[in-house]
Amino acid sequence: MLEELSLHILDIAMNSLAANASKVEISVLESQKRDWLILRVRDNGKGMDIATLRGGTTKRSRKKNIGLGLALLRQTAEMCGGHFHIGSAPGKGASVTASMRLTHIDRPALGDLNATILTLCAANPKVDVRLHYQTDTEKFQFSSQEKTS
Amino acid sequence: MNLEQLKQLKEKAQKQVALRESGKKYRVVVSMGTSGIAAGARDVMKTMLDEIEKRGLDDVEVRVTGEHGLEDIEPVIQIEEASGDKTTYARLDAEKAKQIVAEHLQKGKKVEKLAVGKQK
Repeated sequence: MLEELSLHILDIAMNSLAANASKVEISVLESQKRDWLILRVRDNGKGMDIATLRGGTTKRSRKKNIGLGLALLRQTAEMCGGHFHIGSAPGKGASVTASMRLTHIDRPALGDLNATILTLCAANPKVDVRLHYQTDTEKFQFSSQEKTS
Repeated sequence: MNLEQLKQLKEKAQKQVALRESGKKYRVVVSMGTSGIAAGARDVMKTMLDEIEKRGLDDVEVRVTGEHGLEDIEPVIQIEEASGDKTTYARLDAEKAKQIVAEHLQKGKKVEKLAVGKQK
């Protein structure tokens, strides 16, 4: 189990880097009004077929070269009254979405999102790491490529 | 976590990305798979980047990799030198990471007590 949601985000985004993505978009939507916290990691990497998708999200069918990261995030989302979804196709990138109830007692803290983004930026400076963070009243956008261009 | 902290991100990311140009004397490879992350690899990497920046070490690049197959001794890093020498450090935390930057990357002295395995 990962202690912070930002560690889950790092873990999922590392998959994107491994899939040779040149762009990784991370969205964090936090709505107190609606009592939802929604995390999404989307990339333009090499994507995967249906068999790989199914194998990657359950512990039972764990195979070599398939880790536990997605299964752990799924478990966290479902434990906190939310949902987990992953969509991908070969050559089309991948998108992982996890939602959870913001006020659920078991919901891990978001944690140090800055450290996660900095780690990703440093991990591969050529990749455009984007963050979109939104609450009911505020919005923040970041792109690792915006100042190097 | 608040918006102000997020805003500091932009400046910091720029500096740290600049550290990662190629052709360096040392390459630090941090194992950043699920087990590494669970064991604290992110904090180790962040501490190393901060220390490298603070000490102005221009000849070090930091990279990440997936699992090393060393799950029980994570967080693990490997330091590769231009000469081809490789040193693996295991069971790290922020303090040990600082020590490695100060000793190995700055002074060129391996931290034997933190190293594991046979050195190549």
